[in-house]
Amino acid sequence: MTQFNRRRFLKTAAMTAGAGVAASSFSLPTFAQDARIRHFWWGNPDRDERTFAVIDIFNSKHPNIFVEGETLGFSDYFTRLTTQIAGGNMADVIQQGYGVLFEYVDRGAVVPLDEWVGNTIDLSKMDQSALDAGTVNGQLYALSIGANSHMAMYNTRLYEEAGFRPGEDFDPYGWTYEDVARIGAAVTDATGTFGTDDNTADYQNFSDFVVQKGGKLYNDDGSYGPTQEIVEEYWETWKMIRDAGATPPGPESAGQVGAEVSQWGIVTGRTATTYAWSNQLVGAQNLMQDTLGAAMFPNTPAMVPGSYIQPSQFICLTRDSANPEAATTYMNAFVNDLDMTKVLGLERGIPSNSEVREALRPTLEGAAATSVEFFDTIQDKVAVLPPPFPTGANEVEQTFERMAVAVLLDQGSISDVARDFLRQAEAILARA
Amino acid sequence: MRDYLQKYGAGYVFLTPWAIGFLGLALGPILASLYLSFTQYDIINAPEWVGLENYEYMFSFDTRFYKSLQVTFAFVFLSVPAKLIFALGVAMVLDKGIRAIGIYRALFYLPSILGGSIAVAILWRQLFNQDGVVNAALGLFGIEGPYWLSDPRYSLYTLVVLAVWQFGSPMLIFLAGLRAIPQDLYEAAEIDAASKPRQFFAITLPLLAPVIFFNLVLQMIEAFKTFTGAFVISGGTGAPLDSLLFFTVYLYNEAFSFFRMGYASALAWVLLIIIAIFTAIAFYSSRYWVHYENERG
Amino acid sequence: MVDVATQSLDDHAAIARALREKKRRSEKRAGLIKHAFLIACTFIMIYPLLWMLSSSLKPSDEIFGSLSLWPSEVMWETYPEGWEGLPVSFTRFFGNSLFVTVLSVIGNVISCSFAAYAFARLEFKGRNIAFALMMMTLMIPYHVVLIPQYLIFLKAGWVDTYLPLIVPKFLATDAFFVFLMIQFFRQLPRELDEAAMIDGCSAFKIYWAIIMPLSLPAVATAAIFSFIWVWEDFLGPLVYLNDINDYTVPLALRMFLSQDSISEYGQMFAMSILSIVPIIIFFIIFQKFIIRGIAMSGLK
Repeated sequence: MTQFNRRRFLKTAAMTAGAGVAASSFSLPTFAQDARIRHFWWGNPDRDERTFAVIDIFNSKHPNIFVEGETLGFSDYFTRLTTQIAGGNMADVIQQGYGVLFEYVDRGAVVPLDEWVGNTIDLSKMDQSALDAGTVNGQLYALSIGANSHMAMYNTRLYEEAGFRPGEDFDPYGWTYEDVARIGAAVTDATGTFGTDDNTADYQNFSDFVVQKGGKLYNDDGSYGPTQEIVEEYWETWKMIRDAGATPPGPESAGQVGAEVSQWGIVTGRTATTYAWSNQLVGAQNLMQDTLGAAMFPNTPAMVPGSYIQPSQFICLTRDSANPEAATTYMNAFVNDLDMTKVLGLERGIPSNSEVREALRPTLEGAAATSVEFFDTIQDKVAVLPPPFPTGANEVEQTFERMAVAVLLDQGSISDVARDFLRQAEAILARA
Repeated sequence: MRDYLQKYGAGYVFLTPWAIGFLGLALGPILASLYLSFTQYDIINAPEWVGLENYEYMFSFDTRFYKSLQVTFAFVFLSVPAKLIFALGVAMVLDKGIRAIGIYRALFYLPSILGGSIAVAILWRQLFNQDGVVNAALGLFGIEGPYWLSDPRYSLYTLVVLAVWQFGSPMLIFLAGLRAIPQDLYEAAEIDAASKPRQFFAITLPLLAPVIFFNLVLQMIEAFKTFTGAFVISGGTGAPLDSLLFFTVYLYNEAFSFFRMGYASALAWVLLIIIAIFTAIAFYSSRYWVHYENERG
Repeated sequence: MVDVATQSLDDHAAIARALREKKRRSEKRAGLIKHAFLIACTFIMIYPLLWMLSSSLKPSDEIFGSLSLWPSEVMWETYPEGWEGLPVSFTRFFGNSLFVTVLSVIGNVISCSFAAYAFARLEFKGRNIAFALMMMTLMIPYHVVLIPQYLIFLKAGWVDTYLPLIVPKFLATDAFFVFLMIQFFRQLPRELDEAAMIDGCSAFKIYWAIIMPLSLPAVATAAIFSFIWVWEDFLGPLVYLNDINDYTVPLALRMFLSQDSISEYGQMFAMSILSIVPIIIFFIIFQKFIIRGIAMSGLK
């Protein structure tokens, strides 16, 4: 036990006993003169170190603002955030993911930034697509701090063993579901490792497929876009790949739904291809000896783009911030100040500021370089980002993953499960 | 008044810390959750009174609610007896004098210590995967093991195994209980040539009854509320096919993933009532099989 | 029952000696079988520990790819690197955890034994209702009271301090321990208190000089459990502690893993191994108190 903690504990105890309820550590005199800003993010050892370093840089440049960092692992982040929302004591600046941002906007937990744009926030160097992604109903709610896209990752050693070299034997940026079946089956035969994961229960692949087919995940009125035919066709497509012998047996794939990186088949050596987010490449590579290659998600022969480039993470201003001016000053520096972005690097994803991206390029190697190359190549092969999804979208996604398992386990026909899923999706959206 | 204080005063004095804690920290939140169960509350905005709507929806439409009840009940009835019998058996072995007893106790407690850690989720996959340790062991006997974790027919059993494997805490309590049984009773029984099983039923069980009762009630309550193991092993969702949709996992998702704290509170109260009924039955039945020393004297 | 036993013991003292001798011989054989059984069980029990140990020593690209327990290359450096692997050193986290845990154990043992003594041995009006209410606190799922409880501590200005983690322990809020000690206290013969009462002992004296010493195994059990559970608790620290300098070990362990970037599994496993060392030490010391009760033999 350190002195500091004992003192702090006793001090708080005395304070509470004496001064009653009002005394909180928020009003400790030390920073009373300055604006005190709290920044809360989910991290990992590397990210935490970089972010605390960036906060130090900011604090030394802005003597009248004092930023404090708060960090947790991803699995715990939202539990604390939710509790703090209820308590009305969220940090001033929080990190948000693309999928959940809109629920927070919808319910009013994060506030628009428009009045600070051109004032404390400078957007001139930000990619328009990144700004669009943070815009809801015409108002800017979030600054992107890293871009992301769907990425198929393949084990280059196993592919080579089976005779597939990228660019020569297949096109990583334009392969079809038939290619996946053919290559996957060949890899299974040649190496004994299953050629590919089974995406029957992968909602990200499904959402690509819907757009590839010319559909939308959500209609303009917020109702669910995919039709019975599309859901069925998607599951039939992956059944074709499974039947070709390219994937592990259905029950094994069922166990992979929602698995974390360390449990992916490609990491444990069960499969040779997986489908994930581009910002997970570096983490997955770190757990593997074979080198990973990057490809887009497979497409239909028509090659209508289905993937998006979307922010992996945002920073947002919360409704609990007592000093939005200082908070937005910090947010601005976080995305624009080159001293700070240099320290942050690519750790949170590809930066949305072109100037920052160029400054980083020469320093990259390995999986990070692969990611940047992937990003440069897909720029003109992606679809336009759709408007924000309605509340309830996350629950629909979870429902899809749950019900698709029935297809993998052969418990019910594809058309029955598809009908059941669409009915439930509708019910969820009606209830939300 | 004076007599009253003399008679009951000490009781109230000793109860004071608990009473402060209960009134100050426990009662308010419990009542708050009861209130919230009649509201729609998304945590971000103020709760909105909806009367019985949450309960009506739960009982009339919510198939996942029924599924989670089924999973939870199956788990309680499978895991609690198995765990108690196992814990009692090991405690009795450990109760007798053997060398290095402290080490064994600690080792047997290990699974319970590791139980809550994130490592367990990973470990469980490594053990029960199709190419995991368990199937490798079965393979030695020429048995082809199933997909333990991803086949809904088997996944619950892996959770039961996990629960039984973490038998450390009832075991330790049994051990403390066994140590409270006077040894001269057994010696007397030996002289009367009572067989071991007879000693067990005539001495051990009756004298251990209060502790058995405690373990039964507490393990039952804990089993109804099981969360961590199911949550981490099912990836937080109750997969596959809701076969691990424990009541509290469902409740957690409703509250923290889908922002339906009002509905989650209603779920919590239904669970509370179910647990209360079972606990009441246990207490009622205990009149017939649990006898306390201080009631005989 | 005790009286009968005592009597027959006197009558058959000689036979008893002979029986004990015979018993000793057969116990030796049974002891061997017992050890074999225990060792087999033990392996199943410690497999996860071995697995964690082996994972903590493997290079990160080997932990999940290979099922073998033997690392191809032993990486001891995960331990020093993990110790300093987060922005704040584990020296700090262990200190924080010990501080919270030790105070909590003291609080739990004192306050819960107080309440248990009242419930088990003293009379007062409303005892049954109070007992039922106490049991109710065990039954409510924790996640729905989390937020209301948070609001109470927030109002009190205690968020961001250790008070929400420690103060409740001094207020017997963990009904598990109260109920546990009630069950053991009720096993003690009534004559003890009655005799002491006649000698003019106060209720507190009876609690302190009779009930507690005679219930040592139960108290030790409660101390062990409360050490382990507080040490491992992460939900409390998760919501009440914002400053990384104040984090406890379980919270820190979860910071090694990342959804969208590099996870330090080796360091996480290494620190997980170290994090159970204090538990084992505490356990081995306190399990010694789970000894043969002297309660009823003392009555002879």
